[in-house]
Amino acid sequence: MKMIYARPILGGLAISTALCLSGIAAATDTETAMANPSDWASQAGDYANHRYSTLDQINASNVKGLQVAWTMSTGVLRGHEGSPLVIGNTMYIHTPFPNNVYAINLADQTYKWKYEPKQDAQVVPVMCCDTVNRGLAYGDGKIFLQQADTTLVALDANTGKVIWTAKNGDSKLGETNTNAPHVFKDKVLTGISGGEFGVHGRMNAYDIKTGKRVWTGFSTGPDDQLLVDPKKTMTWTNGKMAPIGKDSSLKTWKGDQWKLGGGTTWGWYAFDPKLNLVYYGSGNPGTWNPSQRPGDNKWSMTIWARDLDTGMAKWVYQMTPHDEWDFDGVNEMVLADIPVKGKDTPVVMHLDRNGFGYTLNRVTGELLVAEKFDPNVNWATNVDMKTGRPNVNAKYSPGTTGPDVDVKDICPAALGSKDEQPSSFDPKTGLIYAPTNHVCMTYEPFQIEYTAGQPYVGATLTMYPTPNSHGGMGNFIAWDPATGKIVWSKPERFSVWSGALTTAGDVAFYGTLEGYLKAVSTKDGSELWKFKTPSGIIGNVFTYVYNGKQYVGVYSGIGGWAGIGMAAGLSEGHEGLGAVGGYKDLAKYTTLGGSLFVFALPDGAGGTAKSANNVQ
Amino acid sequence: MAIALVSAAVVANRTDFSARAEDAPAPPYTVQDGTKVDQKTLDGWKTWRALACERCHGAEQEGLVGPSLVNSLKTLSKEDFHTTVINGRPEKGMPPWGGSDMMVKNWEGLYDYLKGRSDGAIKAGHLYPIAQ
Repeated sequence: MKMIYARPILGGLAISTALCLSGIAAATDTETAMANPSDWASQAGDYANHRYSTLDQINASNVKGLQVAWTMSTGVLRGHEGSPLVIGNTMYIHTPFPNNVYAINLADQTYKWKYEPKQDAQVVPVMCCDTVNRGLAYGDGKIFLQQADTTLVALDANTGKVIWTAKNGDSKLGETNTNAPHVFKDKVLTGISGGEFGVHGRMNAYDIKTGKRVWTGFSTGPDDQLLVDPKKTMTWTNGKMAPIGKDSSLKTWKGDQWKLGGGTTWGWYAFDPKLNLVYYGSGNPGTWNPSQRPGDNKWSMTIWARDLDTGMAKWVYQMTPHDEWDFDGVNEMVLADIPVKGKDTPVVMHLDRNGFGYTLNRVTGELLVAEKFDPNVNWATNVDMKTGRPNVNAKYSPGTTGPDVDVKDICPAALGSKDEQPSSFDPKTGLIYAPTNHVCMTYEPFQIEYTAGQPYVGATLTMYPTPNSHGGMGNFIAWDPATGKIVWSKPERFSVWSGALTTAGDVAFYGTLEGYLKAVSTKDGSELWKFKTPSGIIGNVFTYVYNGKQYVGVYSGIGGWAGIGMAAGLSEGHEGLGAVGGYKDLAKYTTLGGSLFVFALPDGAGGTAKSANNVQ
Repeated sequence: MAIALVSAAVVANRTDFSARAEDAPAPPYTVQDGTKVDQKTLDGWKTWRALACERCHGAEQEGLVGPSLVNSLKTLSKEDFHTTVINGRPEKGMPPWGGSDMMVKNWEGLYDYLKGRSDGAIKAGHLYPIAQ
């Protein structure tokens, strides 16, 4: 049933799409499906986290005619992050806890099979920021589900039958999972959540055939647990790459605090098959009370480049040493080859929670660009390009002021200038299209004791729209990763917590917390179309072709950190109290939901194969 | 000590949880200027803060994923409060805090604190001890 696809001639900047599929002796079924734009075979559509589709039936000139094609309830009323997968004539959808999986026949939208796991409800209270799940992975004829209770499950893609399971953590210790598993070649990679419970963050790789754990690379601790070579693992040091040296993590923690060090790994990972390197970010160090954990707390808040087969780290770069704000470094790693300072460069691009957009040479780890992608970011004035360290503004440094002092007007807030909501890279324009937050905070740290399985936070904070700005809590931006400049910025009333999609039709799609799915021009951000779904959107937009027709879809179901205020009981009298005021406003627009929306152009409006130049 | 006795009296006497205002006992907390409280209530607030209750119930107890405690404490009995914090309501996402020494030791102070928030007598945010 798969459409035969003639790839359009790619422009100069589009080499990055091609590189991810080249240099492989025998493509895996994941890679074959990802190469077919009719499918949406991984959460980002490719290894490189582009969230870009070469489809262009739906384009800037006709997107205004987009209509609902079909919808489906997921049956769960909580935050719906991630997106479905489409392989051939089957769509695979997932839900927040209890993490049900449904295979849907695209011919008539009936269920082919359902998988409804039984999980201990005790895991729910341990989950931070709503019971979200960021979606499934596909490979080796299997669908992979990373359950909240840390069980990684391999299901037969045809029948839904369990083929293997693996235990990835211990929820009694506060370990849970919200991330999507990622299939890279013959391995399934999955991280861990629980940065607010003093967990010991790590990345795990499992054998796709058997579910046997192949390697575990921790974020903090001794060299053998980190999977680093003190002489060969490199980092940016005084303007050049140098070995990290012995005990690079241990030396940056007091005593054995690294054991509770956090550095969790719940974001979006990327893979370069040519280099055989996996890229991902680690999260905040354990306890939000910075004065309680002196040191740089390596390697929390770090971009990692690890060998897929061995887990050994080739290079690391710590973005936020000694975090004082909860700026987890887990956001998506985006790979492309772009011209930087006049030279074609293989890069990894990353818009971090801390408000800086980073571009590094992904082969060597050299720091090329580090600039603010929200002009209101104030916790640091800049990143010193020689040391690679941020110049922290003491006025906004809770670690400097010490416990029990309320530090006001730190920008961005803990949920960052951007959180997990993944951006899209459009190889046609060479730009990143990013859903962002525009939120500031007060932050009051306090002394905290560790008890296994209980919150290990140690700070109270309040979040509110960026003062003296447009009044909204979000922006949708176009970002030039080669120069570190904002190309355009479209203000939004609320945080944009939906993953973006760009297409060869020169359209960028994203959802809003009010529930709109929007299409904007990739050139200037002008709004081309919008549709109000029943609930706020925190899911990621995806696209596929079925029977010669292009579809665009997204989950509608508010929740997650940005939407937690929706659930219940917002009382009167909190206007002006930051996030509560913002959330209260949100309640005017939407409420909880759980559904999938799929859109298409009506027949005759460009929505059939005959008008497409790329579907035969 | 006096405060503890008042609390005990509340436990003993409050069988009718919809008691009318004129029947309401004296508040179980002592507060000055909305931000200075007795030691027991202060320990209750510190427990609130350390166990990160605001992540679900909101910084002003106004409710987020979890319910508004400003509202709940208007009807929830002290006994039911105790049962809830110790055993949790796992199906709704409320953790059982019976394993927390801090909660086991300070749950009454936490009740007093939240009662004060619900009554509007104690302000949200940082609290301080009443000067001796």
